[in-house]
Amino acid sequence: MKMNRRGFIKACGVMTGYAVLGLNLTKEAVAASMDFVGLRQKSVYDADANPKIYKLRKSQDNPMIKKIYDPKDGFLHEGPCGHMSHHLLHTHYNDRSARVAALKANGFKLKF
Amino acid sequence: MKQIEGVMYQTNAPKGIDPDSIFFVQVDATKCQACGNCEEACATGAIQSINDDGIRQVVDPAACMNCGQCLINCPYDAIYEGVSYVDEVFEKLKDPNTVVVSMPAPAVRYGLGECFGAATGTYVGGKMHAALRQLGFDYIWDNEFTADVTIMEEGTELIQRVGEQGKKGARPLPQFTSCCPGWVKFAETFYPDLMPNLSSCKSPIGMLGPLAKTYGAHETETPAKNIYTVSIMPCIAKKYEGLRPELADSGFRDIDATINTRELAYMIKAAGINFNSLPSQAPDPILGDSTGAATIFGNSGGVMEAALRLAYEVLSGKKLSDPTIKVVRTHEGINAADVDVPGFGTVKVAVASGLDNAAKLCDEVRAGKSPYHFIEVMTCPGGCVNGGGQPLDPDVRASLFKSTVAQINKRFRARTVSA
Ligand code: SF4
Ligand code: SF4
Repeated sequence: MKMNRRGFIKACGVMTGYAVLGLNLTKEAVAASMDFVGLRQKSVYDADANPKIYKLRKSQDNPMIKKIYDPKDGFLHEGPCGHMSHHLLHTHYNDRSARVAALKANGFKLKF
Repeated sequence: MKQIEGVMYQTNAPKGIDPDSIFFVQVDATKCQACGNCEEACATGAIQSINDDGIRQVVDPAACMNCGQCLINCPYDAIYEGVSYVDEVFEKLKDPNTVVVSMPAPAVRYGLGECFGAATGTYVGGKMHAALRQLGFDYIWDNEFTADVTIMEEGTELIQRVGEQGKKGARPLPQFTSCCPGWVKFAETFYPDLMPNLSSCKSPIGMLGPLAKTYGAHETETPAKNIYTVSIMPCIAKKYEGLRPELADSGFRDIDATINTRELAYMIKAAGINFNSLPSQAPDPILGDSTGAATIFGNSGGVMEAALRLAYEVLSGKKLSDPTIKVVRTHEGINAADVDVPGFGTVKVAVASGLDNAAKLCDEVRAGKSPYHFIEVMTCPGGCVNGGGQPLDPDVRASLFKSTVAQINKRFRARTVSA
């Protein structure tokens, strides 16, 4: 069954009369959409286990990983967490709590 | 505004703007039907009623982790994306002086096919590479390669942290994963005291950008200044991540543009490419080849499983004969497991799917009661395959409604009977 917009809006009107019911339905709807996610997840694990798609299953076995970390002339020859890795591949984080603290002080309710 | 795979987009490509001030998703008040689905899907409470009619808005970008869960769960197509690089990417693809590099995430290849009529979850990795070539990308590099790099870096970091315990200046345990930009912003916003627990590793895309403009430039003899990197993600929060000012370690912006699965589908259609008849093609090597450990990054529990495939071998000195570690695979909620590693002992791990679940584990860490060595967090329930930038679930708009009607009818009948 495909619903047109009008149908939606009409049912929404019905729903307003059942506001309590509304929230439960929302929870159920979000839960139902997880079936869909399960199909995508299964496909991911199937590809991992399918040698026609991925010949190798461990990062350390990837020949291009061996090449980039080659201790002799690899671009990251000092190995993982080496000097070049720290320069290009690692980062730092910033405290972003002040703005939500200000929001809360202004009366906004957040879940955390 | 432009409509792309059922979602509206503002067509701008911000430059030099503080991403903290951008609404990456927002509600079109004229389309909102006040059903509250978005509010239910949002872990932080950033999206809420702004008037007595129950019309929703994202109240402030500071409280929004840009995950897009509200958007993919809105049955009325009322939520739009605030940032799109599609027009700019098309321009760069046409420009003969720009070397355009593709950087697709694992989960894109499990969603893209749906935009061309394939069944939910169909793997289309080979066709995706072929389509990127036809679109005119100069190097078909793949973010799955840097998923493998991430395992090397993050696994090594974990082993280092475990070894440091008890020593002066030791980095704390548990170590949290840092690949998910919604989660990273969440930690920075709501649990800044736990930032030392976050792995210092950039996400795979945060690694591929700078590698493309250094190592990739060197290997292909391309001047780095001519390279334009396009991050292709199942995610909206990755647009925020790409704009982080600190991601400029290559000497240039590491990531020039970020689009999502829906926008890639749109570009393929706009270019008139017949996706379904494309052959399966491999990515370009150097920064393209990957393993099964990389592709499972798309699922909740995948980073954990991939990291354990490394940690087991490094810590025990033995080969892991069967790389499948099912106990950490997570569909919903929190999943905890003890993994026995010969010659080392027990590695205690946990996987949180969704930020509300992450918060529970964060509270434990804050209270000093967390038993874990390593915790993976994904913002989107189920992982990136369910990202805010993925093709929409057609059932959210159809059968969600069916079940609503069914339930209301049921209540009506119940009332009639009892009345
Ligand atoms: S899910 Fe859509 S229609 Fe429902 S309240 Fe949110 S924005 Fe409005
Ligand atoms: S994008 Fe995510 S955090 Fe922001 S309002 Fe939507 S669900 Fe909430």
